[in-house]
Amino acid sequence: MVSPYYILTIGLGLAFLLGLLGKKLSKVNIAVIMLAMISFAAISASWVWQFAFGNAEESLFFSAGFEPPFSIALKLGFQEAIIAFMVNIMGLFSTLFLWKKLHKENDKLAPVLLVLFMGLNMLILTRDLFNIFVFLEITAIALGGLILLDERKHAASAGFKYLLASSLISAVYLLGAVLVYFSTGSLYIDDLILGGPVAGPMAGIAVFLTIIAIVLELKPFPANGWALDVYQGAHPAIAAIISAGVGTAMLFVLHKLMIISGPMMAQMITVAGLLTFLFSNWLGISQRDSNRLLGYSSIGQLGLIMAIIGMQDILGDQFAFIAMGILLSHFFAKAGLFWISGIVGGSKLESFAVLRSRPLLLLMFGIFLFALSAFPPFPSFYAKWDLIFALSDAKQYLFITLILFGSFFEVVYLIRWFGIVVKNTSEEVKEKLPVNITQIIPISVFAAALLFFGYYGQHFMNVPINLNYIPLIAVAALWILDFLPTWVKNTLLIVATLFYGYIILPQLHDFAFIFAIIFLLGAFLTLLFGYSYKGKRPGFYPLVAMMFAGLILLVEAKDLFSFFFAWEIMTAGSYFLILRGKKSQPHAFSYMLFSFGGALLILAGFALAHSVTGSYTFDALTMVGALSPLVFIMLAIGFLTKTAAIGLHIWLPGAHSEAESDVSPMVSGILLKAGVYGLLILFMRMGHQFVLGLDLMVVLSWVAVITSIGGYLLASVQEDMKRLLAYSSVGQLGIILFGLTLMSNLGWLLAIAGVITHFLNKTLLFQAVGGVYSRTHDRTMYRMGGLIHRMPITFIFVLIGIISMSGVPPLVGFAGKWLSFNAVLSKGYYLQGVGMVLAGAIAFLYLFRLIHVPFLGQLKDHLRKVKEASFWILLPQIIILMIIMAFSALPGVLLEPIGSAVGKIFPTGGLTWQDSFLPFGSRTAISEYGYWNGTYVMVITMIIFAVLLGFQMLIQRRNKKVGQFNIVYSAERPSTPETTHAGYHFYAHYQKAVGFLIAPLATNFWNWVSDIVQSIANQIRRIYNGNGQVYLIHLVIYFLICFFIFNGGL
Amino acid sequence: MKLSVEHIAILSGILLMAIGLWGILGRKNILKMIISFTVFDTGLNILIVALGYLPGRTAPIVDGPVTVENLSQVAVDPVPQALVLTAIVIGFGVTALMLVYALKMHEKKKTLDINEYTDLKW
Repeated sequence: MVSPYYILTIGLGLAFLLGLLGKKLSKVNIAVIMLAMISFAAISASWVWQFAFGNAEESLFFSAGFEPPFSIALKLGFQEAIIAFMVNIMGLFSTLFLWKKLHKENDKLAPVLLVLFMGLNMLILTRDLFNIFVFLEITAIALGGLILLDERKHAASAGFKYLLASSLISAVYLLGAVLVYFSTGSLYIDDLILGGPVAGPMAGIAVFLTIIAIVLELKPFPANGWALDVYQGAHPAIAAIISAGVGTAMLFVLHKLMIISGPMMAQMITVAGLLTFLFSNWLGISQRDSNRLLGYSSIGQLGLIMAIIGMQDILGDQFAFIAMGILLSHFFAKAGLFWISGIVGGSKLESFAVLRSRPLLLLMFGIFLFALSAFPPFPSFYAKWDLIFALSDAKQYLFITLILFGSFFEVVYLIRWFGIVVKNTSEEVKEKLPVNITQIIPISVFAAALLFFGYYGQHFMNVPINLNYIPLIAVAALWILDFLPTWVKNTLLIVATLFYGYIILPQLHDFAFIFAIIFLLGAFLTLLFGYSYKGKRPGFYPLVAMMFAGLILLVEAKDLFSFFFAWEIMTAGSYFLILRGKKSQPHAFSYMLFSFGGALLILAGFALAHSVTGSYTFDALTMVGALSPLVFIMLAIGFLTKTAAIGLHIWLPGAHSEAESDVSPMVSGILLKAGVYGLLILFMRMGHQFVLGLDLMVVLSWVAVITSIGGYLLASVQEDMKRLLAYSSVGQLGIILFGLTLMSNLGWLLAIAGVITHFLNKTLLFQAVGGVYSRTHDRTMYRMGGLIHRMPITFIFVLIGIISMSGVPPLVGFAGKWLSFNAVLSKGYYLQGVGMVLAGAIAFLYLFRLIHVPFLGQLKDHLRKVKEASFWILLPQIIILMIIMAFSALPGVLLEPIGSAVGKIFPTGGLTWQDSFLPFGSRTAISEYGYWNGTYVMVITMIIFAVLLGFQMLIQRRNKKVGQFNIVYSAERPSTPETTHAGYHFYAHYQKAVGFLIAPLATNFWNWVSDIVQSIANQIRRIYNGNGQVYLIHLVIYFLICFFIFNGGL
Repeated sequence: MKLSVEHIAILSGILLMAIGLWGILGRKNILKMIISFTVFDTGLNILIVALGYLPGRTAPIVDGPVTVENLSQVAVDPVPQALVLTAIVIGFGVTALMLVYALKMHEKKKTLDINEYTDLKW
């Protein structure tokens, strides 16, 4: 192997050369430093190669031919090779990124940069405690120089704070290293290990001092104000080096020293790291400056990895994978984000909106943010899964809680930032952001690396992996084909969906099969709508594909990991889709927060279940014991965030109504069912759970009742068509949840039939309303009227939709109603049953408005030229209409297969089916309380309808038709015209009576939570008052507290 | 117990470190803070040399009575002294850089009061 001393020689030699001949070499200095960085990278790459694919062995290199303690030893093992390679890659691409600056603007930077990376290499390789001190100081001086040489406004004061802090820290380290020497006679780390744990009072303090110094270098909360200021004040490219390069090297130093520390020190490092992770991310929420925000995030991530290093005994074999997974994500993403910040140049979060003029850059920005947020398919996702599982196995529940809260806070500010950049309407992007190739290459390479390691990394996980990548390949393919026109991509995706369905459906059974049909048919029906769009709809199709890939992978999943993977893919895809709406940014954000919070609960719930049963399949949920009610609650809440149960619903109305016209049916009619599927799996495995003798299923049934009453009440007071339908979904999902909580054959039959009818009805109605919107560009109902004259076909669809939804005969919705009464009776849930009847009554109120206000009444002047919706919008509705009609006439077609699936879980108490005298295979359903034949009901209803219609036509044939303008107006024009409209504030009287029921309690509650979280963050971050001396005092106090804890053994 | 040279050295080292720390944390003038850092470093260096001192031994320089053979019997441990030498050199570098920073900061705001440099915060 190439001796690491070459790095030392090349680094120092060329740095001196550049320094001495600076002026004379100014033309070629960029070539010199590039050459040096390439050689660093190449040397370390050769090591990695030889360790990974050759048969290289760990080797030691001694300086000047002496043995320790009279010489310095460099150790080169696989770990060292990898970390050195990472740091050198960072050096190489930083140099490339800074090309222009190094070449033209500031030739003094080059030698300093070279010395810095040489120092980092040596920090990684050296096995000598004192040598670590030397290179700590060398890197500190070099960094100080780099920060200073770049003439930014606040660089000098920030750099000075950094120097103050690092000088104090190295003094502590030096004292520690020297004391280690006095108590052991050696500075060579491997001697210290061989001599057993370092013992004696002085030795204890010595080890404490050396390690606490490295911990302080890693910026533990709250002694890290100096670091935040540097991240904010330094040039972003230098901040990238500090975060990714120096941070990585420093973590490795800590890892190296862990072998001389005892368990107590390890515990202290863990706690320090986790507190840093939690609080850094928490304080980051209030941050508005992009570089400082990245600083908070960097410190948080370093804290998490520091904690992982502290926990390596707990994590066992998976330690390396977990640490590397998080480290790689942090390394690539943080460097990439700082570099993008360097290109953007602004420091406000909003200023990144210019990225919209560079779609590729925006895509990479998204990749970096989502990698940091630990979404699949990035390494951090796999690592975090393993981390939570390992901690759960070790029963470290407090640590899990800290990590989950920290992760959540991190997502809050990262995703909010993403939303602002993609969608903030206050920022107009006029000009194309100027970029040059030397800046794009590093960013692209790092983004690609994240994807590569995401794919590669999963093979090192502790779970059996059987992920199906085929749907994800479609996503990638659509990214590549994004330049094609809409109709081509639409066709491709439809064909792919149908083909995939053809392959996958025969492999699925029971509930998975039913939900797969909904997802695939739903994709087909909602995609047909897409033909009505012209142009290219950039970025739309990969996102749709991503959401549906997530959904279909969800039903394919047979183990916990595949399920969670699919869940996160689906969440990310649907978030992006919702975000595409014009004004949907705040709603997409709250959707993401609830979903991510729910996902964290699901993750933790899975981990707890696994720790009890040891299983990675859904069988893990069949656990018993004290933990099972807790697991049940966590998973139930996790899934209920997706189905928008009351209290967790506040994201839904905005997200569903502000989404694009064809996205609304996707997210409302289809996506919500993912949560139902999760609940199915949960209830099937865990069943009734009791807390203090209280059956949680009964609690949930009340939640369901309140959800449906609340959802319907809210729906009935909306003025916006899509918001009305969105709230209606809340209520309908309440009914589905209610069916599930009955835990009986009929209950589940009701729920699954409800899932299908809700999918059909809601897709139909959202598409019809989308058709109206496509012509009127309005969603406010009272501003419309008389549309029956202009859009008669759409009118019929809405009419059928609301009849079916309201559950009156003869349409399929009635099946649900009939089933629900039977199910309630047989279960004895009378009180809840009353609630459901009430909800059903309220449903009429809002459904009636949907047809009454926009379609009936006087045709408005501005709507006189409106045309019927286009063919591609009507086509899917026609198909849905036919399906609804078919199910209505022959409900057995729908209910019998569901019944057979449900019957496997609840063998008794189901419906029995009997052939009837009617044609087309019509069958009668018989329950405990009666019987029902859909065909029969339909025929009777049709006959009554025809008779009444004929009678009316007969008696009205002499009526004179009154034209729209055949009336007399009074002379005045009201100042608020909408208040005179019959459709406005339609249920004012009801609102007066029961308005308190729809006070925005949940919204107020969550606003209150978010205010508290933010104001605490605002208070805490005031300790970073910008004064370098105060930061030093923080360091001293932090040091003293650790010292007393360590020595007092608190 | 008699107060030996060793003890005096150790105590004065600690005293200097305390004075330095007091200056670092207490003085508002940036130059005074930098000077306090050098005092602190000096104290630390004295402490290290004093701790490594063995009574009655001579400097670890092979010259005259000290030979390679009897080095370990007559001379003190050379390692701490080598370390201190290196630390002094590094301290010199850090101090120089700090002074350059002081200069740059003074150029910008015409003040050396550390309290004035709090633009970056929270």
